[in-house]
Amino acid sequence: MGQDNGSTFTTQKRSSGVGASALPTTANGRAAARTMIPRGRQIHKTFNNIKITILCGFVTILVLRGTIGIGNLSSSEADAVNQNLIEETNRVLAEIRSDKDPDDPAGSTDEPQFLSLNDTYALGPKILGWDQQRKVWLSQNPEFPSSVNGKPRILLLTGSPPNPCDNPIGDHYLLKAVKNKIDYCRIHGIEIVYNMAHLDKELAGYWAKLPMIRRLMLSHPEVEWIWWMDSDAMFTDMVFEVPLSKYTNHNLVIHGYPDLLFEQKSWIALNTGSFLFRNCQWSLDLLDTWAPMGPKGPIREEAGKVLTANLKGRPAFEADDQSALIYLLLSQKEKWMDKVYVENQYYLHGYWLGLVERYEEMIEKYHPGLGDERWPFVTHFVGCKPCGSYGDYPVEKCLKSMERAFNFADNQVLKFYGFGHRGLLSPKIKRITNETAKPLEYVDQVDIRRPVHEKESSRSSETKS
Amino acid sequence: MLGAGKFGTPAQDLDDLTTHFYASRKHAEPHRVLVEAQPENENENQSNDPKNYATFDFNKILKDEGGEDEKPDPNKPYTLGPKISDWDEQRGEWLKRNPNFPNFIRENKPRVLLVTGSSPKPCENPVGDHYLLKSIKNKIDYCRLHGIEIFYNMALLDAEMAGFWAKLPLIRKLLLSHPEVEFLWWMDSDAMFTDMAFELPWERYKDVNLVMHGWNEMVYDQKNWIGLNTGSFLLRNNQWALDLLDAWAPMGPKGKIRDEAGKILTRELKGRPVFEADDQSAMVYLLATQRDTWGNKVYLESGYYLHGYWGILVDKYEEMIENYHPGFGDHRWPLVTHFVGCKPCGKFGDYPVEKCLKQMDRAFNFGDNQVLQIYGFTHKSLASRRVKRVRNETGNPLEAKDDLGLMHPAFKAVKVSTSS
Repeated sequence: MGQDNGSTFTTQKRSSGVGASALPTTANGRAAARTMIPRGRQIHKTFNNIKITILCGFVTILVLRGTIGIGNLSSSEADAVNQNLIEETNRVLAEIRSDKDPDDPAGSTDEPQFLSLNDTYALGPKILGWDQQRKVWLSQNPEFPSSVNGKPRILLLTGSPPNPCDNPIGDHYLLKAVKNKIDYCRIHGIEIVYNMAHLDKELAGYWAKLPMIRRLMLSHPEVEWIWWMDSDAMFTDMVFEVPLSKYTNHNLVIHGYPDLLFEQKSWIALNTGSFLFRNCQWSLDLLDTWAPMGPKGPIREEAGKVLTANLKGRPAFEADDQSALIYLLLSQKEKWMDKVYVENQYYLHGYWLGLVERYEEMIEKYHPGLGDERWPFVTHFVGCKPCGSYGDYPVEKCLKSMERAFNFADNQVLKFYGFGHRGLLSPKIKRITNETAKPLEYVDQVDIRRPVHEKESSRSSETKS
Repeated sequence: MLGAGKFGTPAQDLDDLTTHFYASRKHAEPHRVLVEAQPENENENQSNDPKNYATFDFNKILKDEGGEDEKPDPNKPYTLGPKISDWDEQRGEWLKRNPNFPNFIRENKPRVLLVTGSSPKPCENPVGDHYLLKSIKNKIDYCRLHGIEIFYNMALLDAEMAGFWAKLPLIRKLLLSHPEVEFLWWMDSDAMFTDMAFELPWERYKDVNLVMHGWNEMVYDQKNWIGLNTGSFLLRNNQWALDLLDAWAPMGPKGKIRDEAGKILTRELKGRPVFEADDQSAMVYLLATQRDTWGNKVYLESGYYLHGYWGILVDKYEEMIENYHPGFGDHRWPLVTHFVGCKPCGKFGDYPVEKCLKQMDRAFNFGDNQVLQIYGFTHKSLASRRVKRVRNETGNPLEAKDDLGLMHPAFKAVKVSTSS
């Protein structure tokens, strides 16, 4: 080996010498130099050169990969491809989030067709004798009764626009809000319809609920009550049930304050974020009377002005369904009010400010089932507008409050399974009841779907003072 | 000490190369990254406005309060919960005491609870939550038409069983808390109903306890890791199910156990790539190696798409509309289109973003059309969010019948009591 090394080095030196001299000299010089070395030695020399080259190359790679890393050897081209992918992805996302639709007729976006002030708008063909029609249908279809297990059939209607929210967090809270509604409705045997379609292009936005309510009433005679609920409203009392027996003589149940309505004519005297309509002729007639302020364009604009002029505290903006209903009930009081129940004994709609801060206090002092200011039935995030770009309140306040309301409600569901959130702002849960080999003992204690009177006997001492 | 690890070892090289090119080997497409398009210059002015949603950092909201994760005792083997051996008796007694909560709604119609879910945190992908929303609306529609209840889970019950294994503790908890439920139907959040008229053939399953889409030969003979699919399956509420869950769970606990189990599964199952143990592979392995114990109560269904891989279905929707109609549930009109690999909530999927999301829109509309037609509407096209009227309203709404008979379908009818 040592011998080889020595010979290698001398060979190296000589070969480099040969190499160096090969550059300036001509082929003749090189040929002359080569003939001086015997052939066997020459081959041996070449092999040694190759060995050294490989050895050096190996060392170089080792050093390089320790520093740069092997992946980056092919980096520059991959980077460009990646960049293209990111741009392509962003383009796709932007397209999905825009309001553009592949089926919009080309070039029609500039001239939307609005109804003029002289046009009359109708939700649909006038229906007469709906009560009788419904009664006959029910008698002919006993397998679709209007009451199940002694409770009138309720259908909860809610929804959101078909395109993604302006901001991703909006969709996240729409998802949480629908889970919240799914939970309440499962516990109470209520069906849900989640609407994402604009059935009537005239009545877009907050007015979109009107055609949908009518459509569902007419298609589902087996449904006794249609309950509209905004997508920004959450159930926060999972035990409380709407006391339908109070409303046997009424057809519209809506949260509000009679003095604000009749005396002050306030534009927030009632709240159309959560209300119940009985499936009957009266309701169809009310919807027909309510709708005409809705069609977008000049009609809605002009109607907005009328409403602002006549209702206390109303800002100037196009007609909204809530103001229109208030105005309608005030101006046609004798016709409608006897069948309208203005409810404020419990929070069929509970304005979020003033409620969400007190959740901890409620947890300490009260319990679910009360539905009122002690344990609100519904917490409604009016003005937060998380699906849009801008709300009426600071974003942080809104989102924190919505998260708290969601977890406050979720705790009531999770309790049944032995869990609870670690805090009202925490997505993580902790165990609050140990698992046993007899799970049904716990189920019997905690199940809120079971006959209410069994629970009430233990609560009879706690009445509202 | 230095160690070769810092400078790289041949093993690491190999791992690097395989992960870098794994996707391309599998799908001939590199990973697609979903990144929020952040306009760079706007933030300066808007970040001061507290009412602007665009510039708000959501990380300020969630607070991980109080308490550490329960540390599992390393000496005790993992269990889903205290062993229960008399569940059939316990459940039977409960049902007798609670006649208002029967486990069969009608003859041959068991009470079913559909279970699905997603993370309590916003998706990394900016449109992910929107697709989760559409997906749950789709499930709400199918379940309303078929008299099925839904449980949407957003809670991680057991930190050790995170990821795809999270469904096991959840399923066990739900079975034990809802004795009135006869069948629990697990469905992934990336699966959608595309046949609103198809009612599951409950009669066919009266003697089995677990129904999954798959093929006997692929599971028992080939041990193929995709011989069955755990994205949509039915599990009966009984002792057998509890025992199965107990036998299924051991490969799940994250960390060393799951990694080691993953190696076993890759070695034993055909076609399985290298990654930690997943619930589906573990099920294949469990059935293939313990067929005598479980096989006779497992039904691998391939007669209709209880799970339908989206790749072979979504391009055919127009053809289906032309040639067939809802109610088949199979290749002619799939019950479920399952977007395996799309991962719309995460940042990385196995398929190009455009393909996944656009096809999810189409699948959603394909299903939604069947619901809208009840009310006389349909989407303008499978790609469009807009709807148009296809049936005029009349003054006699009760005479209107929808073509599919979904307005008052037989599978939703309430049992009419002849006595009383």
